[in-house]
Amino acid sequence: MAYVHITILFTAALLIIIGLYSAIFIDNIIKKIIGISFIEEGVNLFIVALGYAPDGVVPIIMPGMDPAWFAANAAYPLPFGLVLTSIVIGASTLAVMLALVMVLYRRYGTLSTKVMLADTSKQEEYNE
Amino acid sequence: MLEFILMIIMVGSAILALIQKDLLKAAILTGFSAGAIAFLFQLLLAPDVALTQAIVGAVIVPVFIALAVKKTQRSDG
Amino acid sequence: MNELIPLMVIVPLMAGLLISAFSKFNKATKIFAFVVAICLPIIPLASNYGLHYFGGYEPIMDNVTNVMFHPAITYSFTFLQQIFIGMIGILTFLVVFIYLTKYKEVSGPYLFLLFLGTAAVTAMLLTDDIFHMFVFFEILALAQVGIVAASSIDYSYEMALKYMILGSIGSPIMLLGIGFLLALTGSVNVTDIAYAVHNGLVNITSPVFLLSLGLIFFGWLYASGLPPFHTIKSGIYSKAEPHGAALLQSFTVISMISIVLIMFRIYSVLPIFEVLVVFFSILAMILGVSLALTQTDFRRMIGFLAVGELGFIGLGIGLGTPYAITAGLFQALNEIIITALLFIGFGAIVNATNEVDTRKLGGLLAYHPKVSIMLLIGGLAMAGVPPLSGFQSKLMLVQASLSCGYPEISILAIMVSIATFVVFVKTFYTMFLRPKPNDLEVEGKDVPRAMVFAMGILLIIIVLLGIFPDIVIKGISTFVGGIL
Repeated sequence: MAYVHITILFTAALLIIIGLYSAIFIDNIIKKIIGISFIEEGVNLFIVALGYAPDGVVPIIMPGMDPAWFAANAAYPLPFGLVLTSIVIGASTLAVMLALVMVLYRRYGTLSTKVMLADTSKQEEYNE
Repeated sequence: MLEFILMIIMVGSAILALIQKDLLKAAILTGFSAGAIAFLFQLLLAPDVALTQAIVGAVIVPVFIALAVKKTQRSDG
Repeated sequence: MNELIPLMVIVPLMAGLLISAFSKFNKATKIFAFVVAICLPIIPLASNYGLHYFGGYEPIMDNVTNVMFHPAITYSFTFLQQIFIGMIGILTFLVVFIYLTKYKEVSGPYLFLLFLGTAAVTAMLLTDDIFHMFVFFEILALAQVGIVAASSIDYSYEMALKYMILGSIGSPIMLLGIGFLLALTGSVNVTDIAYAVHNGLVNITSPVFLLSLGLIFFGWLYASGLPPFHTIKSGIYSKAEPHGAALLQSFTVISMISIVLIMFRIYSVLPIFEVLVVFFSILAMILGVSLALTQTDFRRMIGFLAVGELGFIGLGIGLGTPYAITAGLFQALNEIIITALLFIGFGAIVNATNEVDTRKLGGLLAYHPKVSIMLLIGGLAMAGVPPLSGFQSKLMLVQASLSCGYPEISILAIMVSIATFVVFVKTFYTMFLRPKPNDLEVEGKDVPRAMVFAMGILLIIIVLLGIFPDIVIKGISTFVGGIL
């Protein structure tokens, strides 16, 4: 099971790289946002994989379990708690970004980042 | 074996979502990717995180994206 | 155990939620917001110093390794936290007061965002838990985006979306760095991590440790608006309402120092950490001032000057001696007040003239003498003219860099101060002193009295800190002695 663990870490890295690529190079704003959600998921997967104990048990203590055996075999639950928070934060950030995109689409009529986000710099040129 | 299938689904649907011309399909594929991650969380001994990810990542986020696509435009370009 | 410590975060958070839920009762909302805003600076002043363990979980001694570890989220409240939270409280009070007097119908969600941002920076200052800090860092980013998007200035939505996209790339990267630290030490408590790092429980030459530094450092650069994020940071200042911008810059300064202090406690064993901080700070100082020189929009100019001042704080912390860190933290306190004064003052001018281009302004001294005198004093304080507060902290910084053996850095700091002076005086001359252009109409528009009141209070603090810097410096240097 150990090689699976390593593979999961590499998959998380791959997901982060896919997300970074799309967040930087893809022009469509919705796809950029989807890419950002992939970065977040990759990081979450990485942190959950940190807490994983090969051949272990779920870190919930049941009646009748020996505490010493449980402590030796259970997965580390702290990263899981962190990821729970991080998933919810990611979803709310995504919702705010999509709301801003919907407002901006009404003004520009396009989803292209080059058109939508270029105007501030144009305004600066006009000022100078 | 199951882990490898899930990882392939995850990365494959992520890449497919980003090369899709139809943004609604991209939203659905995002849900596939997040669902595969939820299964992986379950295999990594984190059932509570898996439940949250299955609800938030596989249902709520694709619905948000689909709503945004419905209010804007469906095709990429 | 002091029960007031968590209240500093809970009061603004709950007040914000209540206000946004019941914002249709206009009058009651106004009174409630005002009362809460008065409470904000009072709570930290009334509270005792100490630690607060959430859930009452005290630190546990591990019998096998003899290492103390903290199972609960810990808030530590010392003089540094007291003075900064008190200052943020005063600033929030002034901003909420300006907002309440400016509009007849208050918007609940906007007040919610102001209080949310205050709660977030308070928690970032108090917390001793790196993941807790990350959560409030994200909440702070959301609040900042909301404050920018809620303003009625053109292109504010675009700027908010840009800032948000950069932020949502930057914060997962920071989380990844926290994940690496968690993998190395098995804890997210800063005291535990610092203990593990300084006592050889972690291999500090391992690439994972270096990588975690790089990733958290990237998040810090984004949070504090140092290069390469200086353009977007000054952009969001210029797209927010003036009182909002005054609060936004204080959020930036506080999040900068709270993250850098955490990083300092963990990474001070790595020599490259201090080199990195000093390098980016010097870059920020030079870029901030030279870009401010080319701006014609004066809000943008103040934004770039604020970024340049951030470099001074980073310089103090990067030099790494107790005296230098004290100087940097004192500079941070001064910058919060001075930049807030400048943003509010220039906002008053925008209010009166509806014009942000310095080339179209002129001769305003005759129309707004009070505002212009206060702005002049604020600008001189920023440039470091005695006996104002900016002078004291910059003098300390120059002395610190001399005593560390870097006379080049002190010369550079003095040159940047002079350049700040030049930029400010040039703008002040074009706006207030030179003859009024014929097509400018300023008749009949008065500066809101709340803004003048707020500027007066900030000015009193600037002069007080300039004449009696010891009231703050002594306490800060005790704190710095504690973390080193």
